[in-house]
Amino acid sequence: MNPYILTILLFAMGLGTTITFASSHWLLAWMGLEINTLAILPLMCQSHHPRAVEATIKYFLTQATAAAMLLFASITNAWITGQWNLEFMSYSLPTTLVTVALALKIGLAPLHAWMPEVLQGLDLTTGLILSTWQKLAPFCLLLQINPSNTSLLLILGLASTLVGGWGGLNQNQLRKILAYSSIAHLGWMILVLQFFPSLTLLTLLMYFVMTFSLFISFKVNNSTTINSLSMSWSKAPIISSMVPFILLSLGGLPPLSGFMPKWLILQELTKQSLAPLATLAALSALLSLYFYLRISYAMTLTMSPNILLNALPWRLPSNQHTLPLAITTSLTICLLPLTPAIITLLTL
Amino acid sequence: MLKILIPSMFMLLTTWTSPFKQLWSTILMYSFLVATLSLTWLAMPTDTGWFYINNYMAYDPLSSPLLVLTCWLLPLMIIASQNHLAAEPENRQRTYISLLISLQIFLILAFSATEMIMFYVMFEATLIPTLIIITRWGNQMERLNAGTYFLFYTLAGSLPLLVALLIYHSSMGSLSYLSLTSLPLTCSNLYADKLWWMACLLAFLVKMPLYGVHLWLPKAHVEAPIAGSMVLAAVLLKLGGYGMMRIMIILDPLTKELSYPFIILALWGVIMTGSICLRQTDLKSLIAYSSVSHMGLVAAGILIQTPWGFTGALILMIAHGLTSSALFCLANTNYERTHSRTIILARGLQMVLPLMATWWFLASLANLALPPLPNLMGEIMIITSLFNWSFYTLILTGLGTLITASYSLYMFLLTQRGPIPHHLILLEPSHTREHLLLALHLLPLLLLIAKPELVWGWTA
Repeated sequence: MNPYILTILLFAMGLGTTITFASSHWLLAWMGLEINTLAILPLMCQSHHPRAVEATIKYFLTQATAAAMLLFASITNAWITGQWNLEFMSYSLPTTLVTVALALKIGLAPLHAWMPEVLQGLDLTTGLILSTWQKLAPFCLLLQINPSNTSLLLILGLASTLVGGWGGLNQNQLRKILAYSSIAHLGWMILVLQFFPSLTLLTLLMYFVMTFSLFISFKVNNSTTINSLSMSWSKAPIISSMVPFILLSLGGLPPLSGFMPKWLILQELTKQSLAPLATLAALSALLSLYFYLRISYAMTLTMSPNILLNALPWRLPSNQHTLPLAITTSLTICLLPLTPAIITLLTL
Repeated sequence: MLKILIPSMFMLLTTWTSPFKQLWSTILMYSFLVATLSLTWLAMPTDTGWFYINNYMAYDPLSSPLLVLTCWLLPLMIIASQNHLAAEPENRQRTYISLLISLQIFLILAFSATEMIMFYVMFEATLIPTLIIITRWGNQMERLNAGTYFLFYTLAGSLPLLVALLIYHSSMGSLSYLSLTSLPLTCSNLYADKLWWMACLLAFLVKMPLYGVHLWLPKAHVEAPIAGSMVLAAVLLKLGGYGMMRIMIILDPLTKELSYPFIILALWGVIMTGSICLRQTDLKSLIAYSSVSHMGLVAAGILIQTPWGFTGALILMIAHGLTSSALFCLANTNYERTHSRTIILARGLQMVLPLMATWWFLASLANLALPPLPNLMGEIMIITSLFNWSFYTLILTGLGTLITASYSLYMFLLTQRGPIPHHLILLEPSHTREHLLLALHLLPLLLLIAKPELVWGWTA
């Protein structure tokens, strides 16, 4: 893509999220979300492949619907309460509508159907932006509204963890697996939103770090299916040996850092006397773990029979920028002992 | 304490920076040094209290035998793995040794943890290196299935444990072992409390394993390479027993009624898995089911909650760790020569490998709990405390002892005595390395006859 156009689009994406962050008026928040959506659309269909264009249109339609619902909810709130402030939504109808609209925006179950198909149509970098950056603005809004209905957020959360687990079981396309993984993690974030919002932020940031490592690892191997991952041990052996740890961290196994958000969320849920919910959510993480384990089997822990040992590909020095990968992989694996420090930082 | 842990951590560095020609000797010597240093933990100044305390780690007479077993096992695993890894590229050998060392580090932290969440994190952390060892270096296609079963059975049991520990923490405020004895949970007899009791124990019952949830063990033990089988049989199963003993303190008084079905299930498992052993064709599978059988007795001993039960359980855990690991090493000597685990393909070995027959004999005798070995001491104490609880358990335990004796003898007679099969043309004579390995397994067992007080915990 033309570098000037790319600059404008990336700038606009940043601008949209920043406007939403900085806003206290609903119209401004909506405007930021819309700018964000519109800016990413050309990035999504830049390859002009029919699949990419289809993904772009699906994304546009769902995000526009969500934004329109958001606008409707804020207008209803303005009609009832006479003010447009973000934090002072005290009636249940607008608050519930806003929650559902934002759930559609980020892809929580049962409003998740667009997510796997949209991610599948994008290339890995744009998919990364969709999974990480695009979630920031809606979460900023979710963190600021007072939830009206306790069980709505819990149902959204639990359904997302279950759907994210079950949906990914039958996939062998990596981008769809990453989409379902995203849905599951978003579910965990929503579960604790009304009890301890800092944990939502912690989970979101940990998810960004982990999923960044995974996306970039897949990009370095230039692979989008599980089968094509099986050759990665010859292209980039160190990355192949690190990816199982990234995947197990995404699955939430101690002593990797992915355990940190799950542990703290379970602690908060048990403090709120929601122990059966906590158990269900924890067990649903096992479903996701199954397909993460399957990817790590294909990539590192087995050797495919389709290799000619005397004709390995040349390991040329790569001009991919792998420093961010190194940083995020280290964080994904080693951050658990710093849990008290991170909690203190986020609850300041 | 740290003088064992920090050298273990730096062993990782040594693995990656040693010159390749000296890698195995360096690591072996280093791990033997650490193991010898760890023997100091057996000298317990007090009988009941905690000692060597720092903020996060401590020991008491319950955990120090298990810690010494862990540290002792690492050099043995390295001796055992040397042969089958010799053909691998250099970096993979270093990775394998790093996995074994990291497993030891997590196990040391697990057994010496003073707080239950730390124990939980380390309990789960041991899963990852074991999973990688089984699935990457196992030899058959079924190892992937084995890894999945291993991981998911353990996790499905331990996630409710995490929630149960967090519930206890939120109502009692502390999960430190040092204060657990004075903070029993005041339970009303609600159904939720019973579920909580179940959640606390399920992880350890799956790990031990209890008979109904034992399916992961034959798969994992059989498909793992020798070091994986050794560490699984010797130490990882004992994590379950150790966790159960620690958590029993807070589970009173619910345990009086709720443990009933699990004791019976454990005893039934002793008989059932023993009977399965009599019909096995796969040697490693036989030893794996024998592990389930012995650990069933340990589980029953712990659930009885008497001093003799706990003591018997601990002694049996240590003795079984050494015995089972020795049996797996013996099975591996067969496997390295014939590349098959089928028993009948390598029979009559006393004619071919007479010196190894000595070790087979000793290990089989230990397995069937011959006096005066500590295996017998453990089994007798558990059987006695079960008899005290109810007379009828004697039927089950007596039958179990009989079946254990028969399959151990069956295994010995089938592999060592009888005619040699005609297709075996060339079997390498026993290496000194293999003799050393088995001597190092069985010598501690024989020495423990003289002073079992080292390993019988704080209760007797």
